Amino acid sequence: MSTEAIGIQRGLRLSGTLLTLGLVVELISLLWGKPLAFLLFAFIGGTLFLAGILVYLYSLVSAGG
Amino acid sequence: MHLPSPDALLYALIVVSAVLIATIVIRPSITVSREGKILAFTAFLILPVLCTCWGASEHIERSKRTQFCLTCHVMEPYGLSLNVDDPAYVPAAHFQNHRIPVDEACYTCHTDYALYGGVLAKMRGLRHIYVQYLGTIPHPIKLYTPYNNRECLHCHLGARSFESNPIHMAMLDSLKSNATSCVSSGCHDTVHNVENLSHVKFWSPAK
Repeated sequence: MSTEAIGIQRGLRLSGTLLTLGLVVELISLLWGKPLAFLLFAFIGGTLFLAGILVYLYSLVSAGG
Repeated sequence: MHLPSPDALLYALIVVSAVLIATIVIRPSITVSREGKILAFTAFLILPVLCTCWGASEHIERSKRTQFCLTCHVMEPYGLSLNVDDPAYVPAAHFQNHRIPVDEACYTCHTDYALYGGVLAKMRGLRHIYVQYLGTIPHPIKLYTPYNNRECLHCHLGARSFESNPIHMAMLDSLKSNATSCVSSGCHDTVHNVENLSHVKFWSPAK
């Protein structure tokens, strides 16, 4: 396997882990239904989601370059 | 045919997205093929964006519900005041006669009917959460700004019951400019009055 492929796969693993955690947090916040749930969704779920997307996009761009 | 609720669809979408992402994380080699790349793009970008936008929309809709506002202990007396058996209580009369949507009673009267009014209401909601958990809750609770007649006139202006009252029409300009307040100038000044709840009768809707 090439170094580039290993790099992409590492990026996918990290991104996937962050996105899965983000989705789990979002699901918990939706099931909770208290005012704090919105903060959980927006700040923790949102941060994990954004980080996961950015890592995924970076891994795509760095593979393309 | 019984269709699943939007909530159930959202939960299912989140679970499916998480399972797809987990599958690619466990076996990243499937992304080597063209189909695998499309699957990864869908699982890592399209589905999470869809879930997050839908989830945010769901949270925003939930935050408008009366039950949501009343989950804070401090709001309980205000919820009780909606069932006071006295038509002089403005919120109770609106709530019990369904002049406002019962499920969104607080939001309907306490949002700003202006550009970005919904956004400002959400910002106030965040401030409420801050005060609830990290600040000091004032006693008694007061609005951050005086109640704007615009919120009353949003529904009442142009309504026959409002316009057939000569007092309303005589002072319409004053009402529109907030020079005279609907709720604090002596006309409709019995609002929540939570300090008097121990002395009033309550109406209970038929089940």
